[in-house]
Amino acid sequence: MIAVLGLIVGVVAGLLVRPEVPAVVEPYLPIAVVAALDAVFGGLRAMLDGIFDDKVFVVSFLSNVVVAALIVFLGDKLGVGAQLSTGVVVVLGIRIFSNAAAIRRHVFRA
Amino acid sequence: MSEREQPETTRPAVTPPRSAPDTPASAPEAAPRAGLRRELPAEVPPAAPQDASDRTGASEAPRQTSAPQAHTPHASQQPQTPQKPQESGTPAAGEPGEPVLTGRRRLVNGLWPPRVTRAQLIVALLLFGLGFGLAVQVASTSDTDSALRGARQEDLVRILDELDDRTERLEDEKQGLEKQREELENSSDQAEEARRQTIEKERQLGVLAGTVAAQGPGIEMTIEDTKGTVESDMLLDAIQELRAAGAEAIQVNGVRVVAGTYLSDADGGVSVDGNKIKSPYRFKVIGKPQDLEPALNIPGGVVQTLEKEQATVTVERSDKIVVDALRAPKRPDYARSSSQ
Repeated sequence: MIAVLGLIVGVVAGLLVRPEVPAVVEPYLPIAVVAALDAVFGGLRAMLDGIFDDKVFVVSFLSNVVVAALIVFLGDKLGVGAQLSTGVVVVLGIRIFSNAAAIRRHVFRA
Repeated sequence: MSEREQPETTRPAVTPPRSAPDTPASAPEAAPRAGLRRELPAEVPPAAPQDASDRTGASEAPRQTSAPQAHTPHASQQPQTPQKPQESGTPAAGEPGEPVLTGRRRLVNGLWPPRVTRAQLIVALLLFGLGFGLAVQVASTSDTDSALRGARQEDLVRILDELDDRTERLEDEKQGLEKQREELENSSDQAEEARRQTIEKERQLGVLAGTVAAQGPGIEMTIEDTKGTVESDMLLDAIQELRAAGAEAIQVNGVRVVAGTYLSDADGGVSVDGNKIKSPYRFKVIGKPQDLEPALNIPGGVVQTLEKEQATVTVERSDKIVVDALRAPKRPDYARSSSQ
C-alpha cells in the first residue's frame, strides 16, 4: 500500500515540480523509466507468486536502470544508440508483457 | 533483517503449495500448478533466462524450480518443509484454506491493511523515483520542442537543412515584399503629390469658376445711379475693363461674375445671371489695385462714360477685398473634357 502511495506521490510530484531534465541524463531517462517499469512488474509478479524479496527488488530495480542506461550510453558511443535503445525497449517490453501475463493469471485466474 | 523477513512474509505463502505435491493426496492439484509455472518461461523464451536475475523472486526462483526435482526425491527435505509453515505460517493464514492462498489474496493482503515495514518503505522510495521519472519524462515529451528531443542525428541534420532552405526562401520572399513595399511607397508618394497639385489647381480654378471664396488686394467701385440711366452694357464695359486690367475675382452686389456671366436690362436695374440688382452697384474686385484703378479712370474710359450719364462713381483701393459670393459648380451638359 505504501509502495503504491509512493508511486502516486512520485507521479504527482513530477507533474507539479516539472524539473528541467539535465542534458546529460536526458537520453537515458526514458530507457531508465522503461527498465524500472520492468523491474516493478517483475516485483509485482514475484509478490503474487509469494516470493517477493525487497532486497532482490531493490537490486534488480537499480541494476535494471543502470544497465539500460549503460547500454544506451554505449550505443551512443558506438553510433548505434537509436537502434540499441529500440532493442532495449523491445526486450523490456517483451518481459513486461510476460510478467503482466503472469500477473493476469494470478489476479483473474485466466 | 530482510533475510529474516523473507521467510516470514513470503515463505508461508509459497511453501504450502510446494509441500502439497509431496503429499500424495493433493498431488493432482499440484500438477497443474507446476505446469502453469513452467508454462510461463516457455511462453516467452527470451524472458526465461533473465527471469532469474530480474524477478525479485530471483533468490527463490531457483529453489522453486528445483523443488519438484530436488526436494521430492529427498526424504530428508520433507520434514523441513512442513516445519516452516508452523514457524511463520500461522500468523498469516495457517488455516486449512492455506493452499488456496492465491495471488489475488496476496495482492489484497499486501495492499490492505497498509504495513509500514522497511521493505514497503524501500519499495515506496523506488516507486517514487519511478513515478517521478515517468512524470518528468512525460511532461518533457509533451513539451512543444519535444519533437527534436528524441530525434536522431541524421534526422536533426535533415531538419536543419530544411530549416535553412525555408529560411532562404523566406528571406527571398521578404526581399521581394520589401521591394514591392518600396515601390508602393514611391508610387503613393507620387499619388500624394499629384493629389496635392490637383487640390491646388482645384482652388485656383475654383477662384475663376466662382466656386470658392477669394480674398486679396483690389478695389471697390461703387456706382450710384440716381437717374436710372445706367444700363447693362455699361456695367459689362466696366467688367470687361476690369478683366483687361487683370481682375481675378469680381462680384457685383452679391453676385459672382464668372466667365459665363451674362447681363441684361431689367426694370429699374440690371439682371446679372438672372439676379436682379439695383443701384448702387458695388463692385468688389480682386487684382492689382495699381492696375485696376487707372484702367477705370483712363480718359474716355468707364468712369467718364458713367459720369456722362449722371452717375456717381467712386473707386477705392483696398489691401483686403473679400469676394465671398459663390456660384454652384455646374456640370456642362454637352462639353466634355477632351484630355485623356
